[in-house]
Amino acid sequence: MTPRIFTPLVLFLVIGFLIGPFFIIVAASLSGGETLAFPPQGFSLKWVAKVFTVESFQESFAISMLLAIGGTAAALVLGVPASYALSRYKLPFGETIRTIVSLPIIVPGIIVGLALLRYIVVPFGLNITLTLFLAHTALVLPYAVRVVSASLNNLRSDIEEAAVLLGSSRAGAFFRVVMPNIRSGILAAFILGFVTSFNQVPVSLFLSGPGVRTLPIDMLSYMEITYDPSVAALSALLAFMSIGIVFLAERFLGFSRYV
Amino acid sequence: MFQNRAEALALALPAAVFAAIVFLAPVVILLAEGFRSADSWSLSAYTTFFSDPLNRTVFLRTFRLGLMVTVVSAVIGYAAAFAIVNLTPRNKGQMIGLVVLPLMISSVARTYAWIVILGRTGIVNQALQLVGLSDEPIRFLFTETAVFIGLLQLFLPLMILSLISALENMPKDAIPAARVLGANWFQVFFKVILPLTKEGLVIGGTLVFTGSLTAYITPAILGGSKVLMLETLLYQRVTVANDFVAASVIAFILIVMSFAANLLLKRLATARNKR
Amino acid sequence: MKKFLLASSALLLVTAPAVSAQEKTLTISVYGFAQDAFKELVYTPFEQKCGCKLVVETGNSVERLAKMEANKASPVVDMAVVSMADALSATRADLIEKIDTSKLQNFNKLYDLAKDPNGDGMSVGYTFYATSIVYRSDKMEVNSWADLLSDENASHVAFPNVTTNQGPPALYMVGEAIGKNTPDLKEAIAAVGAKKDDIVTFYVKSSQLVQLMQQEEIWAAPIGRFSWEGFTKLGLPIKWATPKEGQTGGMNVMVLTKGSKNQDLALQFMDFWLSTEIQTALAEKLVDSPANKDVKVSPEIAENLTYGEETVKNLKLIPSAVALDNREAWLSEWNAQVGQ
Repeated sequence: MTPRIFTPLVLFLVIGFLIGPFFIIVAASLSGGETLAFPPQGFSLKWVAKVFTVESFQESFAISMLLAIGGTAAALVLGVPASYALSRYKLPFGETIRTIVSLPIIVPGIIVGLALLRYIVVPFGLNITLTLFLAHTALVLPYAVRVVSASLNNLRSDIEEAAVLLGSSRAGAFFRVVMPNIRSGILAAFILGFVTSFNQVPVSLFLSGPGVRTLPIDMLSYMEITYDPSVAALSALLAFMSIGIVFLAERFLGFSRYV
Repeated sequence: MFQNRAEALALALPAAVFAAIVFLAPVVILLAEGFRSADSWSLSAYTTFFSDPLNRTVFLRTFRLGLMVTVVSAVIGYAAAFAIVNLTPRNKGQMIGLVVLPLMISSVARTYAWIVILGRTGIVNQALQLVGLSDEPIRFLFTETAVFIGLLQLFLPLMILSLISALENMPKDAIPAARVLGANWFQVFFKVILPLTKEGLVIGGTLVFTGSLTAYITPAILGGSKVLMLETLLYQRVTVANDFVAASVIAFILIVMSFAANLLLKRLATARNKR
Repeated sequence: MKKFLLASSALLLVTAPAVSAQEKTLTISVYGFAQDAFKELVYTPFEQKCGCKLVVETGNSVERLAKMEANKASPVVDMAVVSMADALSATRADLIEKIDTSKLQNFNKLYDLAKDPNGDGMSVGYTFYATSIVYRSDKMEVNSWADLLSDENASHVAFPNVTTNQGPPALYMVGEAIGKNTPDLKEAIAAVGAKKDDIVTFYVKSSQLVQLMQQEEIWAAPIGRFSWEGFTKLGLPIKWATPKEGQTGGMNVMVLTKGSKNQDLALQFMDFWLSTEIQTALAEKLVDSPANKDVKVSPEIAENLTYGEETVKNLKLIPSAVALDNREAWLSEWNAQVGQ
């Protein structure tokens, strides 16, 4: 087969397979019918409107937002200094430390959730929201370290060494010289962390209590009750939110370099 | 390179200690629970687990589906990645964007779409009947096929992205050179492209395989209780029976499978290299 | 940037515990179906009456029990509704408290069967249900429980998983139909196992059946009467079967968590739920059949419910102790025959 036919055909099929379901979700959510169906039965915005009236969606959206923003911020507060130490210092046990902070990416999320429920929530009576916050922070930490390390490694270290030689304190050199240069890396890590945390399911599966659950978990349990198109509408809205954030990030930061 | 060790530790330790306490310790305790029985170390939880035919079936199914998704995504991934790297830079950027896009959408939403698509009255069945490939609706929901399709859609982008970066790093003249020397496309792929991109394949393969092993949503929604995988079995054991020992066993199996896949693929990559 | 990050994480730490430590709250755990109706008819009126906040957790009976057991040391839920058998199981596991029925003003209005279902004073029945088969009358005919497993029908059936409330009763009736009924349900499970590849799914949550019916994924499923209402709205020719072996059923009961700090409030809530007014409202919306014998409904409504002392007495209920003592065996038999 010649590349001339091969390329467009393969791309059409593959991209269709990857993106197609998303359009179906969008179409199904604009249906006027009572159940999830494609092609949609008539056009209506009633399911989109319903999303905003379901109380549990509002609560779980707030929790997911709080976790995604707070957890990612906390992961950066821990991760930026760690990345700095890993890339600029002769760090004792450097490799061990790097492995420990990147473990949460390797171990299946459901196991983390279960372990936290069993050995942190139950014995210590720790609040579920707080536990979720800790779990999401741990989950985002590897991404934070990886992305921030990458942008530190792209930055020549002799600039800050020069600043220190010229009499600046180490901290001063970091905030005045390094930070401005890795700002876009940090923002990229923030966005990646936000999306990861916001869409996270397995970790949060066991970490739900009465009235406290993340949005994806809430959507799952809503689907156990009914398949009405409101979950499709919510999915579509969330997808547009994620795409919007990523698009802006790409536009201003060249985000995909860091993924 | 700064030399001050105390300063370095002060910067790095908070993150490490946090991950160790919040993450590592509970997981290690959980895994240890599977090796305890009546206050001594024992493998009895594992023999019990594997003596149940249901558990064996679920284990094999998880392994099989993981493998199938990995292999199929590698095949499609090569075709797609190859097509994408040969585009003009502008088109390439757009295509990569389209591949990355699904990764930004919640897996709940992505799986949910398949309920509509694969249902008895869904578009796949409508299309099959329209072109006369089947007379009556084929059942996809709650079958391994549905889970396979769902997983493939979920993880294919990771494979494509890994292979794109591998193909980009390949010497530009390798393929034309092989063609000039008379190699056919089959030979070009196995003798030139595969050896030169195996690192990308290993990364992509590991991501897809472990992703498939540890996906929860897809088998839960598209498979239900008829197509249990290890992850859904773990959830069921805990929620229905409070069986934390079985959960610990499954957790350990999942972790071992992920690490083993990683090691094996790496080994394969280096073995080919020596030849 | 850093300041912003610190500020937002500090904000999170401050607000997170505050959310849960508001006014007086009662935490209940109930089945996930018809929550819109429950909210309107039960939860909101109760919140207004008690000036407290209800926190509702949903799930099926077994899941709820597993969670209560996991949280035994510091109970999260104050009051739960479970199946009769699970109530006995909770009693044996020491998870629930004796109910002081003198604090329930509506107690004497209950059918005798509901007053103390397991004979141990640990639970109070709040609804009965018949279990039978809902089916597409244009596609098939159901005269016997065995019709579910016939060659033509099995591939259009969703059967309840053995771990659900409807599972054992449905298996029990299948056993009746094939004439080999024993408490271990062995033959019935084998009969279902023989058709396991045909049967569409072994459902865990009955709430998704309406969608499956709508999508024509299934034509028939054994369900509890409380799920019936959703099917009536589909506009499809759907019937409630009256198989020749009869209908089975069950009772759902209320229990009080041991160690709950809101026992008085929980009792108030139970009493409210058992009152003639609330039970009538739930019956009229076809949500739950009443356990309160003062509830009077129109004949059309009664037809869609499990209503009246006679009906209730004729349900072939599996005694809780039998269910519990056989549960392990059922599950392993099920896993061996059906699960794989």
